[in-house]
Amino acid sequence: MRTLKTSEAAALLNVSPNTLRAWERRFGYPKPERSAGQHRLYTHGEVAALRDALQQGLSISSAVSRAREALSTDTHTLVGALSGFELDRADGAMESALALRSVERAVEEVLLPSLDSLGDRFGIDSAPWAFAARWADGWLRRAQRLAPPPARRLAILVGDATTSELDPDALALRAFELFCGRSGVRVMALPVAGVSGLADVVTSLSPDAVVIAGSHRSDDAIGLWAYRVRATAGPLPTALFRSSHRASPVATTGARMLPPAPFSAHRQVLALIDDSHGASVGEAAPLPVRDDEGARLEAQR
Amino acid sequence: MRRLHALRPAQVDERGQALVSFCGHCGQRPRTLVAPAVSRVCGHCGLGLVLQAAVDLAPRHDEPFLVVDTSLSVCAVSAAAEALFAIDETDAVNKHIADFLVPADANAPSAENLLTLLVDVASGSREACNAVVRPRQEFGVRFRARIGPCGSPQAALLVLS
Repeated sequence: MRTLKTSEAAALLNVSPNTLRAWERRFGYPKPERSAGQHRLYTHGEVAALRDALQQGLSISSAVSRAREALSTDTHTLVGALSGFELDRADGAMESALALRSVERAVEEVLLPSLDSLGDRFGIDSAPWAFAARWADGWLRRAQRLAPPPARRLAILVGDATTSELDPDALALRAFELFCGRSGVRVMALPVAGVSGLADVVTSLSPDAVVIAGSHRSDDAIGLWAYRVRATAGPLPTALFRSSHRASPVATTGARMLPPAPFSAHRQVLALIDDSHGASVGEAAPLPVRDDEGARLEAQR
Repeated sequence: MRRLHALRPAQVDERGQALVSFCGHCGQRPRTLVAPAVSRVCGHCGLGLVLQAAVDLAPRHDEPFLVVDTSLSVCAVSAAAEALFAIDETDAVNKHIADFLVPADANAPSAENLLTLLVDVASGSREACNAVVRPRQEFGVRFRARIGPCGSPQAALLVLS
């Protein structure tokens, strides 16, 4: 994906950098990403689409609307390919999306919305959904394998409370893992149902944060898993991802509820880790289970 | 000896009417009088594209105006019109003009007249004309509107006064 600095994007559009920043504030487009030094980086595809739309537009707003439509063709193509069970065309649609966007934005703006659209159309208990979800799961895993090796010496332990790869939350979790991996963070996702030998894994990983993702396992199972993690690693910053029906544990334990979008969620987890490294260990948020409750669950077993 | 300046060719439409350029957002004339070949973006506000319309139709000062295409979708809303209707251009674009303005002329037989007029003007099959309109959902407020072709691309300009 080709990116442009503010001055380059402004030159391509024949406007000043200030105008480009004013468009970002007013229209939310083009939407730049940020470099490591927090400088704006525009994707060439977005800027080129806007340049073409400006030639035929009657206002900046209508040109922005047209440019957004041009970019959304990848989503339409992907939905069409998956509806028609065409794997090659689906891969091609993602290749096109990646030509215009970063991996993160291609996943959030094309892959996940396309899957949402198919889920709404066919239902998540249908064969077309299963086909699309399996393809998406495979694509995300492939992308994860291609991510650069962890560079930040940070690790996140994920308690996977999703049902299977056909669970929409599972796809969001795969995307979350991908984004964390691309940020140089080591991620390990373990099912919350498996507590046997968990202490060895936690000791080996030495996580900096714990994320519990999904809402399809019982509170008891999640509580026991969290208790075992805490018993091994001590209090760690903890967050809940896609745990829609678990509002009460957040209130009672202080675990942070992450936004449902994987990219925002991964940013918040990284911020949570940075905050906790700045604070003392004793001030870190506890796991989403009380000691007495964990002990009770342990005793029940 | 007087210096001679090369005469700039007057910009006229196919009917021979003199055209004037203005920003589709702030309504101001461009800084340079030459055709905006390099960039269509307004050099004053940076938030509108430079459009052209007949001299007697183009907005003057800060007259509010809207631009509508042949499908009767709002394509541009001036800053003054945003303030007048308490809307943002970003919310108004691609909505139907009837969501904002309806005819208020007692002699008009039906609401279709204004829409037909706008389609005819936007498609270039009708000259500039006047109409009386009012904001939708508001009574007792009327505006005299100058309606005529503008571009490019071709569309209908509706200037309220």
